Amino acid sequence: MLALAWRNVLRHARRSALTMLAVALGLCALIFLWGFNDGVHNAMMRNLQEVIVGSLQIHRQGFFHHPRLSDELPNPARVHALLRQRGLDRYADRLRTFALAAGADVSEGLVLLGVHPALEMRVTRLAQKVAKGRFLRDNDEAACVLGRTTARNLGVSVGDSLVLLSEDRYGALAAERVRLVGIIDSGEMGIDRGLAIVPLGFLQRMLAMSGRISGVVLQLPRARLEQETMALRTALGDGYEVLRWYDMYPMMKQWVELEDGFYYIFLSIVLLIVAAGIMNTVLMSMLERIHEFGVMLALGCRPWRLAGMVVIEAMILGFAGVLLGACAGLLLVSYFHDAGIDLSHQMTTITRFYIEPVVRTEINTEHLVDTVCSVLLAAVLASVWPALRAMRLEPVEAIHHV
Amino acid sequence: MAMIEAEHLRKHYRSGDARVMALDDVCLTIEAGAFVVLAGRSGSGKTTLLNMLGALDRPDAGALRIAGHDLLAMNADERAAFRLHHLGFVFQAYNLIRVLSARENVAYVLQLRGMGRRERLSLADHWLAEVGLAEFADRRPDQMSGGQQQRVAVARALAAKPDLVLADEPTANLDSHTGAELIDLMRHLNEREGTTFVIASHDPAVIASARMLVTMQDGRIVSLEER
Repeated sequence: MLALAWRNVLRHARRSALTMLAVALGLCALIFLWGFNDGVHNAMMRNLQEVIVGSLQIHRQGFFHHPRLSDELPNPARVHALLRQRGLDRYADRLRTFALAAGADVSEGLVLLGVHPALEMRVTRLAQKVAKGRFLRDNDEAACVLGRTTARNLGVSVGDSLVLLSEDRYGALAAERVRLVGIIDSGEMGIDRGLAIVPLGFLQRMLAMSGRISGVVLQLPRARLEQETMALRTALGDGYEVLRWYDMYPMMKQWVELEDGFYYIFLSIVLLIVAAGIMNTVLMSMLERIHEFGVMLALGCRPWRLAGMVVIEAMILGFAGVLLGACAGLLLVSYFHDAGIDLSHQMTTITRFYIEPVVRTEINTEHLVDTVCSVLLAAVLASVWPALRAMRLEPVEAIHHV
Repeated sequence: MAMIEAEHLRKHYRSGDARVMALDDVCLTIEAGAFVVLAGRSGSGKTTLLNMLGALDRPDAGALRIAGHDLLAMNADERAAFRLHHLGFVFQAYNLIRVLSARENVAYVLQLRGMGRRERLSLADHWLAEVGLAEFADRRPDQMSGGQQQRVAVARALAAKPDLVLADEPTANLDSHTGAELIDLMRHLNEREGTTFVIASHDPAVIASARMLVTMQDGRIVSLEER
């Protein structure tokens, strides 16, 4: 039956080739668009995690949404030991509070983040975002890195001094003069405005928080995120919160899901067009062969077998189109993954969403599989009506069909 | 033993407002191994009767048994299975499958019967040799003459060893010489294999070859002549 179906497809080779090309073109376009979409989304999510948020953060229960200096991470040594035991070595301690930064004439409220410079550089890419000066070093004491907007608002530049004012663990005023060693230009408003980064040890002393931290940030492979989150939550218990990046910033995940939803709608529309193309070819092919179908029925071919042959013909067209389209689509995705698509002129206003101005296409396996399977399914569904028509043919009428 | 037992078959068609009686109280018994020609003018009912005998169409009334099977008790799927296992067809316009070679056309029915590839191709070659077309086995229908195509059709009809071969105007598209050769071939196979042949034709050469001649007119059998 397969051989007969194959020869029937070749019977009108040009028409079949055009249908196959239409399927291939549709699939290729879908794969490329998914590649662009996933490239933007994955870069956004990677940037968010790699620049500052990390894959996971561990705090005292409730700290992330209501941060208070006194809500320090219980028993940091236990958390460190657990992470090491699970083979998670890309983590860094952080101490976080609110402060007032005073320049020569202006002051501004901001988040004061104490980090261990060497460990932080293993976990996030904050250091790579320094546009002027340098990032913190392990032997720095009263040093500070500011975001570009904050530095501009305070009127300070690299080498200048500024004063940081906050409350220590006992509620007493804590003030320190620090020297600005670097200015970060990340393109992300939450970092460039309202953030000051200082050495962890310095901040602990300033706030009478010696040996105490607010939380741990860690980086881990995407494939391990869910599994490790569950394991850490179970091991640490109720006193801790183990938050994935999207638990902390759900809007980004929701935005990605919304855009994926839009793409699935687009996919459905393209599938309808693909299905119509296949159905047109299969139906024309079937109507041209009514007489031959009548002969086959007369010879004893069962109607379901005839219908099966029509479905197989559509599947051959679908498979060939999918094979060609998938190869072309993946080649395009691969090419633009390396070459990139430079949209910097169009994206000056939305870099704050962690979007890279040069989009590198990549496609998530689930989207590739969904798309390929959908096109194949569309090919099968497109053949149902012609197959039913073939199945319902009466041999006598079909034989005399002209 | 009776191969065909038709009793009081009736069939009518609608043509506009008119009611055309295609078969009118047809009774016919044909023994196994017979070589029967249904003769009559166009519209006499011979093709309609052939369609009934071929389980391709159903009568409005009457009873019909072929090789001991009651055709009227069968549904469409059962009739298809019956055709596959008991009947062979030779059509006026040859009706070979265009995309298949002569060998594959003959083997097609054997494939439908579930025979393995090697066995059915071997059997197809045997039958092509029987009809004198061994060297044409790989040719497609459009690479053969009408006479050659009709010989392939005969080989296809006989390859599965059916109880009954039905042929509708098999010589109509052939020149007289080729037509005579085809009739000789069918007669020869009828005598050698014992297969029952029922041929609808108004070709005098075919009529002359009949061992039993059934003449029809206006849907009725008007004469039945054993020779």
